[in-house]
Amino acid sequence: MNRMKPSKQTIQLLNRIALISGIVAFILCILIIANYIQVKRIDPLNTPAMTVLLDRLKSNPGDDALRTEIRELDLLSRKAFFTSWWQIRTGGYILLACVLVIVICLKWIELIRPKIPPPPEPVKEDFWDQRKTRQRWIIYTGIFLVAGSLILAWLTYTEIGKTLYRQEIARQGTDSRQATDSLERGPDIELTINQLQRTGGQDSTPVTGTDSESDATQSGTTPGNADLEEQSNGPQQAFPSREEILSNAMTFRGPDANGVVNGKNFPVSWNGTTGTNVRWKTAIPLSGNNSPIVWKNRVFLTGASTTKREVYCIDAGTGKILWQTDVSAIPGTPSTAPKVDRETGLAAPTMTTDGQRTYAIFATGDLVALDMEGKLAWGKNLGLPKNHYGYSSSLIMYRNLLIVQWDQAEGASVKAFDGTTGKLIWNTPRDVKLSWASPILVNTGNRMELILSADPCVVSYDPASGKELWRVDCIYGEVGPSLAYAGGYVFVTNEYARLAAIKLGNPPQIAWESTDYLSDIPSPVASDDYLFLVTSYGVVVCHNAKTGEEYWVKELDNSVYSSPVLVDGLVYLLDKTGIMHIFKAGKVYQPVGEATLGEGSVCTPAFAGGRIFIRGEKNLYCIGN
Amino acid sequence: MKKGIALTILALLFAWQMISTFAIQRFPKPEFESGYITPETLLPSPRAEILEVLDVAVLLLALSVVTWAVLKRRSRNLVFWISVFSLAYFGFYREGCVCSIGAIQNVTMALFNGSYIIPWTVLVFFMAPLLFTLIFGRTFCAGVCPFGALQDLISWQPRTIGPRLNAVLGIIPYIYLGLAVLYAATGTDFIICRYDPFVGIFRLNATFGMFLFAGVLLLSGLFLARPYCRFLCPYGVLLNWVSRFSKYHLTITPSVCIQCRLCEDSCPYEAIEKPVTVKNPDSRKRMVRKFMLIVLLSPFFMLLGGWTGSHIHESLARVNGKVRMAEEILHPKRIAGQSETIEMTAFKASGKPAKELYAEVTGILREFYIGGWILGGFVGLTIGGLLAGRLITRYRTDFEPNRGTCFSCARCVDYCPVKTGTGSIEL
Ligand code: SF4
Repeated sequence: MNRMKPSKQTIQLLNRIALISGIVAFILCILIIANYIQVKRIDPLNTPAMTVLLDRLKSNPGDDALRTEIRELDLLSRKAFFTSWWQIRTGGYILLACVLVIVICLKWIELIRPKIPPPPEPVKEDFWDQRKTRQRWIIYTGIFLVAGSLILAWLTYTEIGKTLYRQEIARQGTDSRQATDSLERGPDIELTINQLQRTGGQDSTPVTGTDSESDATQSGTTPGNADLEEQSNGPQQAFPSREEILSNAMTFRGPDANGVVNGKNFPVSWNGTTGTNVRWKTAIPLSGNNSPIVWKNRVFLTGASTTKREVYCIDAGTGKILWQTDVSAIPGTPSTAPKVDRETGLAAPTMTTDGQRTYAIFATGDLVALDMEGKLAWGKNLGLPKNHYGYSSSLIMYRNLLIVQWDQAEGASVKAFDGTTGKLIWNTPRDVKLSWASPILVNTGNRMELILSADPCVVSYDPASGKELWRVDCIYGEVGPSLAYAGGYVFVTNEYARLAAIKLGNPPQIAWESTDYLSDIPSPVASDDYLFLVTSYGVVVCHNAKTGEEYWVKELDNSVYSSPVLVDGLVYLLDKTGIMHIFKAGKVYQPVGEATLGEGSVCTPAFAGGRIFIRGEKNLYCIGN
Repeated sequence: MKKGIALTILALLFAWQMISTFAIQRFPKPEFESGYITPETLLPSPRAEILEVLDVAVLLLALSVVTWAVLKRRSRNLVFWISVFSLAYFGFYREGCVCSIGAIQNVTMALFNGSYIIPWTVLVFFMAPLLFTLIFGRTFCAGVCPFGALQDLISWQPRTIGPRLNAVLGIIPYIYLGLAVLYAATGTDFIICRYDPFVGIFRLNATFGMFLFAGVLLLSGLFLARPYCRFLCPYGVLLNWVSRFSKYHLTITPSVCIQCRLCEDSCPYEAIEKPVTVKNPDSRKRMVRKFMLIVLLSPFFMLLGGWTGSHIHESLARVNGKVRMAEEILHPKRIAGQSETIEMTAFKASGKPAKELYAEVTGILREFYIGGWILGGFVGLTIGGLLAGRLITRYRTDFEPNRGTCFSCARCVDYCPVKTGTGSIEL
């Protein structure tokens, strides 16, 4: 008994030490966590005070006092940060010491406690029953593993194997497109490109009774582009004639939005700094990455800030801003501007016009129509586009229909509104991913087609009814470049996917493809013989449009975001620093001129009436001989 | 109060991890304008050869001493102190590397990748414990493995978990082993090292997730003895197999079992096999039939497992960085405000054509497809084997350690009243 006493006391003492250590450790723990959360929440180098000071320094770079103030604040923030860190670290070491004390106490107690307990009460355990239970549970585990794995496979399935497999097939060429790989990924992926191309997909939803224009356009002989467009241009509907479309710059990237522009004798040299061949230059109040459009003697563009959206009309002759209309108060517009990538901005889509009204769309989803005097004809909010970089698809007119490529993360669609009233005429859902490309209009010879590109396919629609005409699965990723078209071929590209030429026909087929140089922003442009592809890092590649043969590659010194324009046998390509590279659209690279704007630009220039309209970072320039 | 202490320890573990994760540098590299030349980044030099020899010598010595302590001295105390030394040396000093568990991956890699030459020290670390186990049982687990030692140290109130949970959790190490081999064979990753819960503690540095994992393991380790060793350790699978054939395995009693039942509940790892004296209610003929059925069904289990494995091969392959990158390019899922991954930026900057990456990834997917079949087949075989194993019965009259699962920790030895050598009883 006597021998047991001190042992009991010691156990009690050790228990107390363990308890006190535990309490100390617990308090320390709370303090450390609180300190950690506090320090984690503060970004020491980006405090509001620092941001304000840095902004001030940006606008006043020569202010040495401010510089010193910033340095001192920076030092202070760093010191505070490291002091907190030191506190956490030291607290951590004390914690460790406490844990050690607890462990030692517990082990000590274990050592001095009477060791061997008396034999346990005999429990009636049936060995054979237990064994059966184990067997049963092993079987359950096996079933669970199979089911769990299959559910996991289903939940995490991303088609990567399928996609790569398709690519592999595509790489094998268009002649023998049968699957040769024995990857055994299941019969559903044994697809050929031919099978992937299917015509007549999703049906459009005519919102009001549309006329039978599509039938009219699809029947008959093969009228010219102008004939097709004008066939139903009855007396009651006044929309521009083909001549007007060709002589103005009503859409992003030329009359059919494919980068090909009509007209002759555009300047090949100018200098924005010295003013050579610059007819005027006008500062645009709000920034925007949209390109100018031109109707007769008026130039239109938009600008936006987080609080304001505006449409500008500028006199093409003098550069004077004729009117500017604030369109920020459209019903349904979000109260705060969406978060967008700086390189996209809030006013990336280019406007369009039908000569009676001008139309604009913004990253907020606001779609507006203004008459030629700047008065709001109608405006509506289509909903905030689910687009992490910012909405950027430009508008296009087909006769009286204003067409919107509404690709977004969920619920993508293409819509047509009546230009006069803003009424939704048709709406076709699209099973595609989010894209940043713009639609093009193509006259295939016997009908007009509205062709769009987004992961995973190029889809053609009847622009009058929105009915899907055909599709070719051939594109992946975050599609930025719009399509090019010439001589019966549609050209599609996207970075990390491919460049593909789709030969129109029944069904349309991939004629050739290449993966050597791909674009993520600039759209390609094509003539009947050549395809010009420009990468955003400044490489220009010329391919044979029919075979894909690579004729030449030219590396520019600067990156390029704007799209090339083909006009009068020349390609005009504006790089990000504002230098226009002009070269012959030919089999060899033959530069014709290089002209400087004097400021950077990411917008595609508009060509009309022998003049070029270029939107720089801040100003709009009119270039003319 | 004891519960309170346990909770305190958990809280401490969380706090502890926070200190270390916090050490991540949050400041960007300053942009000097005054001509300062940023020194070149230096890589840590490899460990000196002599120190590597020392590691191997310590391993062999520790193995020998602990084996002697278990089998000759039959002293739990000695085993405990050796394990404390191992924890200090292989754990805190060598920071859990080189380790026999991770060596599985080096060996696999050497087998599948001709260009990889396995360091001799790693090979010794892989082979020596297996050889010792083949002769003496899992004495490596008892006192040399730092992970085991750490868990042994914190094991406080171990509880039994019953046959159901034992059956379910017991399959995990096999799957983990299969996955580790698959990822090492495909050159994807060394997952045992990446997801090693204890290395973060030894180095006082790990990601939040890993500290959380370690915290959960250690907390459960208070009440469930050696959870990692029993229900995760892939090397334990190999040791378990090898130990079954060990010639001189530890016995609870030094001479004869007197059926005193004192050791019955002494093993915190539920590794003591109790006497089986009651006859199987099933007839022998029936048992043989059942056994044959399972043997015949085993190929089916393997096929089912392989088929399942082949279906999850893409999910498995996603651990591979190249596959993830190709996926990011082909199926971008970036959400607002989230910038692209560093890997993607680096890839874009490298100017490597995407088609090269795709070709590589197609190859990797193919490897995973085959690997998925093999892994699934292995798990199917394991389940078949475990089921069949439960049908083989050895009637025994004494308390004996299970040769596969016993860690040779010598705890039960202290409970046995029979004295060494003489066979006399000391109570
Ligand atoms: S030596 Fe005894 S107590 Fe230790 S693991 Fe083996 S059976 Fe269990």
